[in-house]
Amino acid sequence: MISITGLRKSFGAATVLNGIDLEIRQGEVVSVLGSSGSGKSTLIRCINGLEKIDAGKITVDNFDVSKPRELAEARKRSGTVFQLFNLYPHMTAVQNVALAPVEVLKVPRKQAEAEARELLNSVGLSERADAYPSQLSGGQRQRVGICRALAMKPSYLLLDEVTSALDPEMTSEVLSILANLAKGGTTMVFVTHEIEFARSISSRIAFLDKGQLIADLPTEDFFSATGMALPRVAQFLSKMRKD
Amino acid sequence: MKFDLSILAKHIPFLLEGAWLTLQACTLAVVGSLALGLVVGAMRTSASPLLNRVAAVYIDIFRNIPFIVQLFFFYFGLPEIGIYIDAFTTGVVALSIAGGAFTSDVIRSGILAIDPGVIEAAQVSGLRKITIFRKIILPIALRASVRPLGSVFINLILTSSILSTITLNELTGSAKIVASNTFRPFEVYFVLLVAYAALTYAVSILIGMLHRYLNRHQEEGAV
Repeated sequence: MISITGLRKSFGAATVLNGIDLEIRQGEVVSVLGSSGSGKSTLIRCINGLEKIDAGKITVDNFDVSKPRELAEARKRSGTVFQLFNLYPHMTAVQNVALAPVEVLKVPRKQAEAEARELLNSVGLSERADAYPSQLSGGQRQRVGICRALAMKPSYLLLDEVTSALDPEMTSEVLSILANLAKGGTTMVFVTHEIEFARSISSRIAFLDKGQLIADLPTEDFFSATGMALPRVAQFLSKMRKD
Repeated sequence: MKFDLSILAKHIPFLLEGAWLTLQACTLAVVGSLALGLVVGAMRTSASPLLNRVAAVYIDIFRNIPFIVQLFFFYFGLPEIGIYIDAFTTGVVALSIAGGAFTSDVIRSGILAIDPGVIEAAQVSGLRKITIFRKIILPIALRASVRPLGSVFINLILTSSILSTITLNELTGSAKIVASNTFRPFEVYFVLLVAYAALTYAVSILIGMLHRYLNRHQEEGAV
């Protein structure tokens, strides 16, 4: 379980997250929605320890991410996929995927690379396994990014606006893979602007507004009268649907 | 006056000996300055204020003093306090230290140019700091730094001619001797000029090849 209590985070004078309480249990797909600047990405970056938190507590399977020793354990349990892919430019797709299993989990290189190829195969990239990131399209790069996160066999997958940098066609390539993962029972925290997709795969929706969690509802409730009763949610949804 | 290279024929073995010494000193100094540059470049980009400061001071000192002064200090100054080092070792060490200041600066800017997202991806995947440095930061920074490093190394080769001032008969030193023995400075220094040009040109070709090889998959300018 990922457990977040009383989380606060500021950048200088700007308070980005202001007292967040959220729990993500194994098997859940939780989508985090909210307008730009609401703190969604920062939330992910706090969970994986890329940002130091100012107050509160985040634990991943009871490992406290604010303690350096426990952070390493917490990071083994979660995998992050980034908006801008962040692939290692000097390594092939296979090498990108196999690096952490070899270095962190001490899987023998041959085995790690075979598993990497299998993963790449499962996202339709068997032909591109030996290509470098610069030789791949955006959608292909993001699929490699997903494989790289999955290679560590994480209990939780943290997805930070993973389709925001992709055109609609590439977006659908990537979303269909995520839909499969969700069906397969992968636990996900999915920060996104893809409202309809979030609706189709999530068990719960967390809605952030100005650094506060103003709704944490089962998906069907969020998109029905309960969610609409919250003015900010209603406003957000009507605006997103118009766009 | 007649331009006659043939008078140098019998001095060629002696000049080649000098060239060989230049080659040895430069090879060692390139390796030394690269090693030093890597360490100092890493210190200069580390999160530790102390390491950072030490590295910055080193770079500032050795970049801002003429090489010949550094060399004289090591070779003529240190014996005064009881430290004797032979000319060749002094030359290699001085070149490495001076070169290391420039090398570390190049490596530092190579490291700073890395997309921070790439490093974050490595951090969240649980890699240890040292692994991230070895497997991610260094290879990316070096790929980007090959050409500017090449300029530093070429400069190092040219600077090695100054080693002739501390009794080391490398290429320039031996040419000076031949020039004074033959009274034909025009021919001798003409040959010297061509020799240095050829040496550095060969190095720049090698650097270009290395750059293209290391960056063969980065054609979109990804890094």
